[in-house]
Amino acid sequence: MNILASYNWIKEYLQTEITPEEFAREMSLKSMSVESIEHLKNRFENMVIGVVEELKDHPDADRLKIAITNIGDKKVEVVCGGQNLCSGMKVAVALPGAKVLWHGEGDWVELKPTKVRGVESFGMICAPSELGFEKAPCLDGGIWDLSDITEASAGTSFVEAMDLDDVIFDIEVTSNRVDSMSIVGLAREGGVVAEGEFEFKEPALIKGGAGKELKVQVDAPELCPRYMAVVIDGVKVGPSPLWLQNKILLSGHRPINNIVDITNYILHEYGQPLHAFDYEKLGDETIVVRKARDGEKIEALDDNTYDLKADQLVIADSTKPVAVAGVMGGAPTGTRDDTVTVVFEAATFDPVSVRRTSRALNLYSDSQLLFEKGLSTKSAEVALARAVELTLEVAGGEVASPVYDVQEQDYKSLAFPWRSQKTRDIMGVDLSDEEMIDILVRLGFKVDGVDGEYNVVVPFWRDHDIEAEIDFTEEIARVYGYHNVPTVLPDQAPPTVFEDPELAWEDRTKKVFSSYGYIEFYGYSFVSAGDLERYDLDPEEAIKLYNPLSSELTHMRTSLIPSVLKDIEMNQGETPAGQVFELQKVYMPRKGDLPEEKSRLVFGGFGVKDVQEAFLRQKGVLEIWAKSMGLELKVERTTDDVYWHPTRSAAISYNGNRVGTIGQVASQYQQAFGIERPVILTDIDFEQLVSSMKVQLRYEPSPDFPAMIRDIAVEIDAKMEFDKIKNKLIGMDELLRAIDLKDVYQGDKIEVGKKSLTLSLSIRSDKKTLSSEEADAVVGKIERVLVDQMNAKVR
Amino acid sequence: MKPKLEELKVGFLAALDNVKDDQGLEELRVEYLGRKGKLGDILKGLKDLSVEEKKDIGAFANTVKAELESVFKRKQAELAHELAGAKAQDEWIDVTAPGIAPEPGHLHFSTQAIEEFVDIFKQLGFVRVRHPEVDWDYYAFEALNMPKGHPARDEWETFFIADGDKVMEGEKGKMVLTPHTSNGQVREMEKGYMPLRMMSINKTYRRQADVTHVPMFHQLEGLMIDKNVTLAQLKGTFDFFVKRFFGPDREVRLRPHHFPFTEPSFELDISCNTCHGSGEFEGNRCRMCKEGWHELGGAGMVHPNVIRAGGLDPEEYNGFAFGWGVERCMSMKSGMNLRDLRIIYKNDIRFLKQF
Repeated sequence: MNILASYNWIKEYLQTEITPEEFAREMSLKSMSVESIEHLKNRFENMVIGVVEELKDHPDADRLKIAITNIGDKKVEVVCGGQNLCSGMKVAVALPGAKVLWHGEGDWVELKPTKVRGVESFGMICAPSELGFEKAPCLDGGIWDLSDITEASAGTSFVEAMDLDDVIFDIEVTSNRVDSMSIVGLAREGGVVAEGEFEFKEPALIKGGAGKELKVQVDAPELCPRYMAVVIDGVKVGPSPLWLQNKILLSGHRPINNIVDITNYILHEYGQPLHAFDYEKLGDETIVVRKARDGEKIEALDDNTYDLKADQLVIADSTKPVAVAGVMGGAPTGTRDDTVTVVFEAATFDPVSVRRTSRALNLYSDSQLLFEKGLSTKSAEVALARAVELTLEVAGGEVASPVYDVQEQDYKSLAFPWRSQKTRDIMGVDLSDEEMIDILVRLGFKVDGVDGEYNVVVPFWRDHDIEAEIDFTEEIARVYGYHNVPTVLPDQAPPTVFEDPELAWEDRTKKVFSSYGYIEFYGYSFVSAGDLERYDLDPEEAIKLYNPLSSELTHMRTSLIPSVLKDIEMNQGETPAGQVFELQKVYMPRKGDLPEEKSRLVFGGFGVKDVQEAFLRQKGVLEIWAKSMGLELKVERTTDDVYWHPTRSAAISYNGNRVGTIGQVASQYQQAFGIERPVILTDIDFEQLVSSMKVQLRYEPSPDFPAMIRDIAVEIDAKMEFDKIKNKLIGMDELLRAIDLKDVYQGDKIEVGKKSLTLSLSIRSDKKTLSSEEADAVVGKIERVLVDQMNAKVR
Repeated sequence: MKPKLEELKVGFLAALDNVKDDQGLEELRVEYLGRKGKLGDILKGLKDLSVEEKKDIGAFANTVKAELESVFKRKQAELAHELAGAKAQDEWIDVTAPGIAPEPGHLHFSTQAIEEFVDIFKQLGFVRVRHPEVDWDYYAFEALNMPKGHPARDEWETFFIADGDKVMEGEKGKMVLTPHTSNGQVREMEKGYMPLRMMSINKTYRRQADVTHVPMFHQLEGLMIDKNVTLAQLKGTFDFFVKRFFGPDREVRLRPHHFPFTEPSFELDISCNTCHGSGEFEGNRCRMCKEGWHELGGAGMVHPNVIRAGGLDPEEYNGFAFGWGVERCMSMKSGMNLRDLRIIYKNDIRFLKQF
């Protein structure tokens, strides 16, 4: 959560001479991160007060006027489209060189003298949004009329006229430090981590009055540990004075009226939300803090009506809810210009209840943001006192009731034991107890004890943040400065456990494929039900997201193939052919348990022209990969796997177990995914193989005598598989060491139903160099087997 | 005989001058220096001379022979070079034509990032591990000091797993897609070995998708649990990484932050490589960073409650944990220009080929 904090306001509580930049740097390093620093003087450079003296029609545009504007030392002509502009009006004029937000949006843009529809315009008369004050009270889209806001004369700089010589920090406050979501909290931190003296000026105690009594009752004390209220009668509701409006605007709030502005002012200053009711609108002058009744509704200040549920905490009068506790007040009971008697509420609500209610109603506010982080019951009383003090000053009236204060138990400070040596050990820095205690005390803690054993009392504003001894170490370490902590490497002995071997095999696998020209795919783990169905996978058998981001990403994938096919389709326009691989998890549901996360490997090519060749090349890569993993895989024809082309696919097995498939994706799926040309894929159950993977280094000495290579061409049945031929021939002669397939030919010169194969025979003896005649004898023997037993013709 | 030899020499040199190719050279060699050549003929007459004359003429003849051979060799070399030059002209290639690259494979951007991280942290003894991506609420939140209803849970836009139209629940709470890799902290401690230094780099999931957020991304989680682990050691470890991954001139900064599972907690910043941590570049505010620094990730000393959830005694053991987004970290590395992180998992080959 972020807060816009005025440095001038902070300095009302922090006596300091340091520059905003120094303050921001120290805060960022030791407290809250300052994300930006805005010098209003720079932002509003060349922005002056002007007085419109005369309006002339624009010759070429009905909706534009030429304003003769006095800017002090001279009169200039400014073209302006603001419909509320009239002569005599005091306005903010952005002169050339000034920066404005165009239409209240985007980045600050520097103005240049320019022609608007042919007429020279010396700058621009601004609407609030163009100055970054889109929340300033002003007619919609109109020019900001400053006539009643500033006394400054024409030519005065805007910053001076509006008393805006300030610096605004945008500070990120961590969720545990709700105390720093306030000017006082930031000033207090600044006093500790930067430089200067922090002083909290306690508001005057409320002197109770009489005449406008209330009945205050808390029916749900577990959700509302403290409820305070007080009535002020005779207030004059109206616009806030400039100083108050400025602070409200610079804090990012919208000025409404002085009473509402005071509640927002205190929310920002103390970090304690308040609410103001119109006393007359509360039925039977009653306030009951209770759970909503089913069917109750409330029209909130955002003008929407919300249906309430029984577990939601509300503030009610005698009959109806008048506020969603801690979230937002009701519109009918809010303060308006005719309100004379106001009830200020300062309370503490259960953070979880506020959070649930806000989420359930989808209703968010600055109050809810603070309450749901947890506030101290103690801060309600100071904030209420401050509200009364400011109201009497700004809106008049007098206190007309006692201070109502309902709480089950009196406030008791939290305290924890603390051992100073623990802090030294964790930081790795040898700080003295005195130095550490000094830090804690400056932060508002009270420290008692001796000899390294202490009892630390927590200040009320840290009630929900400090939970254990370790928290004191954080306080000390951050204020000491993490940048002052030395930089050393661990010197303990390293661990002796082994890395999960699967990770190493995955790395090696990825390297094999990338080194053979494959591109790694890396897709989302989730797919749509449609993606699974298109590949005939049942979405019911996949892990389904309860709250998916879109209908495209609803199920955890049970196979990599649907996403790979989808991605091939997406790529084929720009990249008609390619080789890709993906090695990722699939998620297989298990009843009553977490899914099994299994690694799967898919690789292959798309845009294939020659399927036989592409298949063999891929099979070659499969063999290389298997060899690098120390696996002996078997590849055998498969014909009955519906996912694959019936005559162009093979089952892959290891030790008799099926571990995958290589082949052409069945044409119905190629079509289902809209892919134009054949896709050859290999899908491997990586997980099943991983435990068998091993590094195998084997040396085979080179043969002492050379091999003779003899090629023979045979014509044989077109569907005769090479494996069959090889298995038949390889044992025929002990000199025949290997048979390779050199060429396959089918065409004009070959009979239909036949093919011509060029077999390459490697013939070698371990004892001597063979003679040509000896090799010929082996070839002759092989040819005979081919002719006699395999119905082949030798060519 | 001397005049004969002189004459021979003059004749040889003149003939040599006229030789144009290997063949002519060989013919000349045979004519003069061969076994039956002119020099041999003259020298045959030596045997008819007196001992005195033999001595004198013999020495002279040797000088002439050596001279002729030397001149011949030089000519031979000259001719070889000339010929090679001529032949080379026929063998001319264009060395300026564009190189022909093999079609290379590509490891994914994230795989490459992970590889780099692993290499660096391995040097400090961190062991790579892997934990579930689909896990119980207990490991993702509860064991990390975030009991049910804890407001910090909202900071992770968590995906839940469905069981019909309800959220899937088991003994350890709801089933979630891990919104961070910190679920591995308690899981690793539960394994029961010490000392522990792990890095877990895994997919994480959050309900978010815009220019700087993708619903699936990777996180690197580092965890060290041992005796007497200090904040200074965490700082040293982070510094070690940053100098190796981003460069030796980059500085680190720890800034206070809040995470329920670490105490103290901080954000990890690295100095901007454009303005070198000054926040100013060429007289203006540096547009590449926040006041001189880039936020990289979060870290802290493991909260005693988390140590306890891991089955260890926080009085005996403590540790630190750190983590950051892998894609973000990689794209922060100088030279990267990834404006829209969503491209990373689109599998557009035109993108993948660039890494």
